[in-house]
Amino acid sequence: MTRSRIDLQDLLFGLFLVAVAAATLVATRNLTVGHAADMGPGYMPRVVALALMGFGIFFTGRGLWRMRVGIAPVQWRPLLAILASVGVFALTAERLGLAIASVAAVMLASFATREGRLVETVAFALLLSGAAVLLFVKLLGLPIPIWPR
Amino acid sequence: MELFNNLLMGLSTALELNNLVFCLIGVVIGTAIGVLPGIGPIPTVALLLPFTFGLSPASAMIMLAGIFYGAQYGGSTTAILVNVPGETSSVVTCIDGHEMAKQGRAGTALAIAAIASFFAGTIATIVIAVLSVPLSVLALKFTAVEYFSLLVLGLIAAVVLAHGSVAKSLAMVLLGLLLGLVGIDVSSGVARMTFGIAALSDGLDFVPIAMGMFGLGEIIANLERPAERRVVSQSIRSLIPRRADFRAAFPAMVRGTTLGSVLGVLPGGGAALPPFSSYALEKKLARDPSRFGKGAIEGVAGPEAANNAGAQTSFIPLLTLGIPANALMALMIGALMMQGIQPGPQIMTEQPKLVWGVIASMWVGNLMLLVINLPLVGLWVSMLKIPYRLLFPAIVLFCCIGTYGIANSLFNVWLMMGCAMIGYFFIKIGVEPAPLLLGLVLGPQLEENFRRAMLLADGDFTVFVSRPISAVILGVVAVLLLAMLSPEIVRTRKEALAE
Repeated sequence: MTRSRIDLQDLLFGLFLVAVAAATLVATRNLTVGHAADMGPGYMPRVVALALMGFGIFFTGRGLWRMRVGIAPVQWRPLLAILASVGVFALTAERLGLAIASVAAVMLASFATREGRLVETVAFALLLSGAAVLLFVKLLGLPIPIWPR
Repeated sequence: MELFNNLLMGLSTALELNNLVFCLIGVVIGTAIGVLPGIGPIPTVALLLPFTFGLSPASAMIMLAGIFYGAQYGGSTTAILVNVPGETSSVVTCIDGHEMAKQGRAGTALAIAAIASFFAGTIATIVIAVLSVPLSVLALKFTAVEYFSLLVLGLIAAVVLAHGSVAKSLAMVLLGLLLGLVGIDVSSGVARMTFGIAALSDGLDFVPIAMGMFGLGEIIANLERPAERRVVSQSIRSLIPRRADFRAAFPAMVRGTTLGSVLGVLPGGGAALPPFSSYALEKKLARDPSRFGKGAIEGVAGPEAANNAGAQTSFIPLLTLGIPANALMALMIGALMMQGIQPGPQIMTEQPKLVWGVIASMWVGNLMLLVINLPLVGLWVSMLKIPYRLLFPAIVLFCCIGTYGIANSLFNVWLMMGCAMIGYFFIKIGVEPAPLLLGLVLGPQLEENFRRAMLLADGDFTVFVSRPISAVILGVVAVLLLAMLSPEIVRTRKEALAE
């Protein structure tokens, strides 16, 4: 943990909120707003977005103004491995089937830590894949192909 | 007498064979995730939601509820034996529970914790049964105006009483509300914020959001911390507490149950606040406070009773008013909606078998927990030997399959991936994601009631303060928010919620 001249946590949260609010306002610009007695579909999104904008500006301001402990640096390995694991599952599940997608997802997720041993990971991935097919497809009847079509 | 009849009806539902089986499945899974640190009840319930589709509503709710209170039991087992709180609610149990284990009294501590939990669970079941009827009668008088105010109260109170900065949590609630607005507007049929994606027109599913933010985001953050090595060395000699232990623990159990029951009903209460408050109370009441932290049995009995009572009574606002007290209850509401049941005050009269069945099942489930926890304690502890490096890939895989399973849509898997990233970002910048889930689930109801109220009042905002019940509710909201501005209360809140 390093000391930082600005409160990075507040600043990032504030900027995030401002971005979300701005995106909402742009995305809903064509919706009818209406008035309180007869609200159009754009009324609530706009009200919420404006409130979020307010919070965002407040946190951004506070973040710039006060000193706090900085954020621990991001470790890319776990972040990327887990995201890649989910992504690979989404890409392969319907095309290559649950059995292969499961093995790929588990293997990729295991890269998140340095502790894993390859043999153990492969064995475990095969085991989990089998368990997943048995539990979700055979037992719970999830309509997903098991093997490539 | 009506209460008695209701409970009997509930018991007959809860004792149906398939419901007994689902109750057992629920409490076993609950205990397991309670024992394992790093997996909380929120992702677990989110994970199992898709598979409750095929069940009857009562079976689904009974199983999901079992996971929640089962986790409270499991959490205390590891707290006592290994000094690792399986859940936040059992952090306090570590203090004196583990100390007792070090002195060779692990068995006593475990037994007292289980008995206190069972005692609290029994009393809390009765409290739910007694309170539910009058509350739901009152709630039936509510119109859209009162309901809107009540939803606001629920959201605000959940924010004020939960962990974390109030301002940040409010912003998160708004963010959740915004996400809840995505999809086709019910009254005009216009698509909002769908960005032309067909999968978004029915709105965002909360399961991928909950799993991404709570399940996966948490895993990524956990992996950043260096791995802990845990040693389980305590042997359990005798599980039967001595009479003196029991005499010392009993008053603490009663006090813990009372405190937990009251705090659990409050929005935001849930399972985290009661044990801390109970521990503080026991320490204050003790003749010799210095014993605490050195294996005082009251320090185990009180908080354990409080957390179980609180976990159960947090179902009261859900079952009677349709308002979730915490993020987990928000998931329960989602489960009801997936079953086609609109949560709200009418649920008690329309679905009496469901409501009373769930209430009665809690008592049945507590009895099961007592049986599966004490004799099988060795089995649960051995689960701790499963290394995290094997555990987390399995959770990731099950999250993927579960998310896919809600609507057989790969879009949800991508959505979960995005939410995992955002969830990790929130953890990094120190923002609690729980309020977002509340906002997301309550958002559509909030908008609908607001629009209906405005339509009735012809756009006159004063309707919220001119109707007495609504005015009182909003008054409470104002007091809560003003109280947060007082530095003294902010300090006490910080101390009360500090871990």
